[in-house]
Amino acid sequence: MSDHDHSHGHRPPAPMVEEISDFEILEIAVRELAIEKGLFSADDHRRFTEFAESIGPLPAARLVARAWLDPEFKKRALEDGVKASLEVGVNWLDPTGFGTPSDYTDLRVLEDTPTVKHVVVCTLCSCYPRPILGHSPEWYRTPNYRRRVVRWPRQVLSEFGLQLPPEIDVRVEDSNQKCRFMVLPMRPAGTEGWTEDQLAEIVTRDCMIGVALPHPDRKVDDKRPVHPAVNPVHH
Amino acid sequence: MDKADKEKTGEYEEHVRSAKYSVPESWSSPDTTPIGLLEEVKKEGRVWEELAEEYGVANPNPPWKTSLFATMEALSGCSGGLSTYDRRASEDELAETVYQDVPYPERELLALAHTMLRRGLVNEEELAQRMKQVEERLNSA
Repeated sequence: MSDHDHSHGHRPPAPMVEEISDFEILEIAVRELAIEKGLFSADDHRRFTEFAESIGPLPAARLVARAWLDPEFKKRALEDGVKASLEVGVNWLDPTGFGTPSDYTDLRVLEDTPTVKHVVVCTLCSCYPRPILGHSPEWYRTPNYRRRVVRWPRQVLSEFGLQLPPEIDVRVEDSNQKCRFMVLPMRPAGTEGWTEDQLAEIVTRDCMIGVALPHPDRKVDDKRPVHPAVNPVHH
Repeated sequence: MDKADKEKTGEYEEHVRSAKYSVPESWSSPDTTPIGLLEEVKKEGRVWEELAEEYGVANPNPPWKTSLFATMEALSGCSGGLSTYDRRASEDELAETVYQDVPYPERELLALAHTMLRRGLVNEEELAQRMKQVEERLNSA
């Protein structure tokens, strides 16, 4: 029988930020005014907040892991990304029946091969397959990434630590509001006999954007620096 | 395709036609002149990076980030008044000028407010007033 101590083994409460910043106040003020002016409804706002809180990269990682293990599923994923997404629990029509206003409802899965490496961008704004991959990282949204990866993909990938030999073609897919992409990278060596769960753990977000390769020893994306663009926006 | 599918397709097409997805025909640069109220927030406001470090909070995102996301989505919807394309184009410009030293997502929030003010979706006076009321409300407990 273990000792009984007065704290009943409770952990101390998690730290909280105990002050309200002007930014928090600004966000609330903007939202309340917008609703009062009829720019959108409180109900829409609530639905999109719930959507924002529900998304993350795990379903996409599972799609990749399953495709590695099951050739029939891979075939389905490559033929119809939206339908295959349902199999990992993602319905592209949520939350409004048409997705969200900027997400639309099409997903294409891009299969890397020994001779082709894909990488995804949205040059115009930063469209991203959020329902299945979660929120985009800051660097993906910057003009620096968006402009440079389409012009000099190999150089940008090497800045991400990915050196590709010249015999591998690099294919950059430009997303837009009607079509989103995720990369199905090649399965790395050293993962023989792994379960779907184990494989999903090493398929990080950056692997599915295409700027990193999955590795049996890595479960977390590296931190990426964010660079300002050198030239003005409409250069 | 059966009748139900056709109706759904019709609804979908109508949704596409009425949604604000089109690229504007002529690009006009957003007004990047600083706005007094937002300059104050920029100067006085404490960013999440700083707050999280001070209080030892591990969450990389401020609690209002998902709400901001929802506001941006809702604005880009059919009756919202600010398409994703227009908002992001302004944000790009503002992020490299007026708000370049502000971390994301505070920068995103300031850029959104700036764009809404410049487009007349809200005005500076009412925003300042509402901020004061919200602050009083939040600090009244």
